[in-house]
This record gives sequence, structure tokens and C-alpha cells, in this order.
Amino acid sequence: MSSTATTRPNGLALFILPSALLFALFFFLPIGLMALMSALTGNPVVMPKVAFTTRHYARMIGDPYYLEVIWTTIRIGLVTTLVALLIGYPLAHWMARIRSRTGHALLLMAVLAPMLTGIVVRTFAWMTLLSDKGVVNQTLMSLGLIAQPLKLMYTETGIVVGLVHIYVPFMVLTLTGVIGRIDERLEQAAENLGASPLRAFLEVTLPLSLPGILAGSLLVFALAISAYVTPILLGGFQIMTLPILIYQQISANFNVGFAAALGIVLLVISLMLVIAYNRALGLVSGQRELQ
Amino acid sequence: MMKALGSLSRRRFLTASASLGIGTIAAPYVARADDPTLRITGWGGKWGEIMKAEIGPAFESEFKCKLQTDSAFPYLPKLQASSRSAPIYDVLHTNSNEQWAAAEMGLVEPKIDPKLVPNLADVYPYAISDKIVGVSIFTSAIGLGMRTDKGYGNVTSWKELWDAKYNGVRGGYVIPVNSLGQAFLMMCGTLFGKGQTDLDAAYTALEKLKPIKIVDFTGAMEKMLLSGEVGLCVIHDSGIYRYDGQNQPTDFVSPSEGVLSLEQVLTITPGSKMKELANAYVNYMLRPEVQKRLAETVWYSPANKKVKLDAKYDAKLLTTPEKVSKLIQVDWKWYNERKDEIDQRVNRIFRA
Repeated sequence: MSSTATTRPNGLALFILPSALLFALFFFLPIGLMALMSALTGNPVVMPKVAFTTRHYARMIGDPYYLEVIWTTIRIGLVTTLVALLIGYPLAHWMARIRSRTGHALLLMAVLAPMLTGIVVRTFAWMTLLSDKGVVNQTLMSLGLIAQPLKLMYTETGIVVGLVHIYVPFMVLTLTGVIGRIDERLEQAAENLGASPLRAFLEVTLPLSLPGILAGSLLVFALAISAYVTPILLGGFQIMTLPILIYQQISANFNVGFAAALGIVLLVISLMLVIAYNRALGLVSGQRELQ
Repeated sequence: MMKALGSLSRRRFLTASASLGIGTIAAPYVARADDPTLRITGWGGKWGEIMKAEIGPAFESEFKCKLQTDSAFPYLPKLQASSRSAPIYDVLHTNSNEQWAAAEMGLVEPKIDPKLVPNLADVYPYAISDKIVGVSIFTSAIGLGMRTDKGYGNVTSWKELWDAKYNGVRGGYVIPVNSLGQAFLMMCGTLFGKGQTDLDAAYTALEKLKPIKIVDFTGAMEKMLLSGEVGLCVIHDSGIYRYDGQNQPTDFVSPSEGVLSLEQVLTITPGSKMKELANAYVNYMLRPEVQKRLAETVWYSPANKKVKLDAKYDAKLLTTPEKVSKLIQVDWKWYNERKDEIDQRVNRIFRA
């Protein structure tokens, strides 16, 4: 009887199996293949003689240009995340605490509305605003405030503006759920004990919302460093990021091995930053590690 | 009658319905199953429209086959990833620089056999020169595009692009990914150095070209010129002439130093199982009537010497040996061997 019970397939395992297989097939296998390609001299499927090599990584380390590109990518990701957090947190707090159901619905619609339009369309909209002949420059020039157009596009600032607009909803939606679950009576208790509303927020609400800050920041950071369309259109190819360089290596240089090595470096950097961010926030929030 | 209906069980009804559904969906594919399929690449836009509406169907009808066109650029990485013995394309249509890279990787046959493509005998020498892999079926002239409503005056030389009055309205390309940008880099070597291969002179000239607005493809440059974002830019003649009749304040300049050629090249893949049909397609694309129709639609200069274009097109396109002699071809084999080094350098030059 007991033998029958132990050999019986676990229902939950069978239920999870299809999604686990899909995950392995579309996540681990591509990353594994990418790691393999980054360490080979060519594609073993179509080339007869392929050997292991470290030349792709050596090229990256040997040329400071690639390190500059990596740093530019990380910098744009970090600034985008910070700005999205600064804009998103007050909005998320307002949405979580608003009493009116209509008000909440309107705010939610305002946050979600931009997501109904494609990233390309939204980026083109920013181009019409920020270009030399765009709305901003033309307005300022017609008012006589500037004589020459301001350089709003083809800069890192332009890219960050576009990315923040695209990714703020991800931050807001993540934070709203977390802030909404924080018991308001805790803040009231702090205020009853003499804390100012600002101190109550800083010492009660903010630490309790750290898991939301962590989740939202990681989401926005991951999306920002892997963004392709917005940096290419608003950066005008004058700001080189890793995704642009990877695409360039595949589409124009046909160097899949080097592109794979760049991809692996992007992945490793992201993982390292995620771990470091996780630990730092854990320390700040007084926990050993955020799970 | 009632009995007959009564004998139709639920299982039979479902089986019959499923068979009918599958049959309906599969019918067009079954009907076409006997037709051989030629897999090609091709551009979108006007080119894609006329190929889909006229040129392609006429070929299919004459050769009893099906044309399957991939117009989702870039083509070469896809060909690179496919098996050599069963390539994703039978005929590769792309620009000359990529054709050279494909030939170097053994992805396309370097030459077309004139015995199998008789119309090859009628093409201008540039179309099958030693600078070309396969055959160039059309070419555009890369020169300068300018706004005519800004009072810039008469532009006659490439060197005027360096004039300080174009600061802020100068247009160029992302050299690592754009054929026009790469050809222009070689022209910089000719203009300011010892020749196309004088890279140091070219890099110095490119440094002096800043500030410049750079784009990745010609369609984007056309839009920037039309909107006035740029006033003088590197562009191919088709990118200006295609707006003929729309009263746009733009014009194409053929600089006195010569125009660079932007060839539309066809090659056949070595592993193609449709070699005969592939050669027939190349020959078909070189037919005078096909060349004329395409040239007058997309403003490409035909490679076939026998093509007689209407006066409007003949006046502007490269349709005589004298006009064709102005074309400067780039040594793409030489360029591709140094592409990584060039890309690293120009990426540095044009970063903000």
C-alpha cells in the first residue's frame, strides 16, 4: 500500500511540468546556447571545424571602447530607474491611499493609457517634441527665448526622458500593490506617538514599501538596460548601448560569437547588480536578505 | 429521410466536420504542392509593392512556380544561421557590401554563369565587374541631397558638405550598418587622402564633419530632408527622385568628383535545390521590360544596356555609357576585411 503511494505521480509536479518544460526550452536553452556560442570560433551547426576560444571576451577587455559602452548602458539604466522611482513613488502612494473609487480608477487609467500605445509610436512622439524642429524648440524660438535649437535629442538625457515615460507605469503598478497592503494604522500610531507625517512616512511607510521599491526598480532597470528602440531613435546612434552594439554585431558584422559574448556580459552585469541591490536594500530595511 | 438523419451519429458528424475543416484550410497548399518554390529576398516599399502585384506573379505564371519573398531585413544573419545544404534562400538580393561578406563566408556563389543567364551579355560592365559578386541588376547613384528652399546656393562638390554653414543641418549615416555610410567613408579617403583606402585621411575628414545627424537607413534620411531637419546630406538619387511630382523643395546633386554606386545585387546560394529556377529568376530580372517597369517605379538605374526609359526617367537616371562611367565602385572585399577596425573607429568618432 505504501509502495503504491510513493510511486503515484505527484499531481502538482505534473501540473507544473508543462510550464517547467517551456521555461527550460525558451529560457535556459537559449541562454545556454548563447554562452556556448560566445566561447566558440563559429557556429558548429553549419561550420565543420569549430574550436573553443576566449577571443571574444579578450577583445572586449582589450578595448576600452566596449567598457565605455557597458558603463553607458548601466548609467542609463540606473538614471532611468532612479527618475522612474522618484516620479512613480508619489503617484503610487496617492493611488494606494486615495479614498475615492472614481479617483483611483482615473489615476489607474492615466497610468495605463500610455501602455496602450506601442513603444515605437511613443518614442516617435518624443522625437516630434525634442527634435531641432520639434515642438519644444520651435515654441522656445518663437517666444524669443532661444536663438538656436537646444540639443534635446541625441543625448543621454533624451534617452532617459523617453525610457522613463515608457517604464514609469511598471514602477507605479508594482509599488501601488505593495503600498496598498501597508496598514495605515501604523502611520497613525507613529503620528499619535509624536512623529511628524514626514517622519512617519520615512520611518514606517518607506521601509515597509522597500520590497515594492526593489521589485519595481529591478523591473525598470532590466527593461532599461535591454531597451533597443528608444536609445536608437532618441540617441540617434551617437549614444552606443550594449543592445545596439549586439544588434550591430549580428546584423552588420555577422559576428554571432562576439554578439553572444556581449549578451553574456550584459546578463552577468545585470545579475550582479540585482544581487548587490537586493543585499543593500536588505541591510537598509534591517533584514538579512530580502526574499 | 428521418431514418437517414438518425443514422448520422455524433462521432460521424464530428469526424466529417473536422475533415471538411482541415480540407478547406489545406486545399490551397495541396493545390500548390506540385509547384516548385523559389525563396528570394527583396525590399519592401514601392519595390515590394510592384514585385507582389506585377513582376512576381508574371514570373510565377511563366515558370509555373511560387515565389516566396522575405523582405524582413537583415537577410544575411538568417542565411548564416541556416544549413549550407538547405539554405533559407535560393536567391539573395541585397547590396554589394553584404554580398561580398556572404561570398567570403561561402553563403553565395561568387559569379553567375552567363550560359545559364543569357541577359548577362547585355549588362553594363560595372554590373559584373571584379568589384561585384553575382550580378548587379540595378544601381543608384550616391551623391548629395539638398533643400532648395534654404538659399544654400549651387552645390557642386562633395567637399561642400564640410562647409560650416551646414552645421546642425548636415546628414550622414551610421557607418557600421549602412552601405551609403560605408561608401561615403571610402569617398572621404579619395577626397582628402591618397584614395579610397586612405583610412586615416577618411577618419580625419569624418571628425571634421561633426556636428552631423546620423541615421541608419535612407528612408529615415529622406524624412529628415523632407521635414527640414537636415539641409544637405549624403543620399542616393532614388531617395530624392521618388518624390518627383510632389513639389518637394529637395534636389539631388551629382558631385563633380563622381557619384558612388549603390548596387542591387543578385546571387545564388550554393546549396539551393532550385538552381535552374534561380538562374531563370536572375535572367528574368535582367529582361529589358522588367528592368524598365521596376526602374520607372522605384527610380533605380537599370543594369541592362538595352533598356529604353521614358524621357522623364532617362534624363535623370544612369542610362548611357557616359553617365555610367561617372559611377565609382567601392572595393567591398577590401572594406569587409577591415570592417571591425573601421567600425570601432567610427563608433568612437560619432559618439556624443
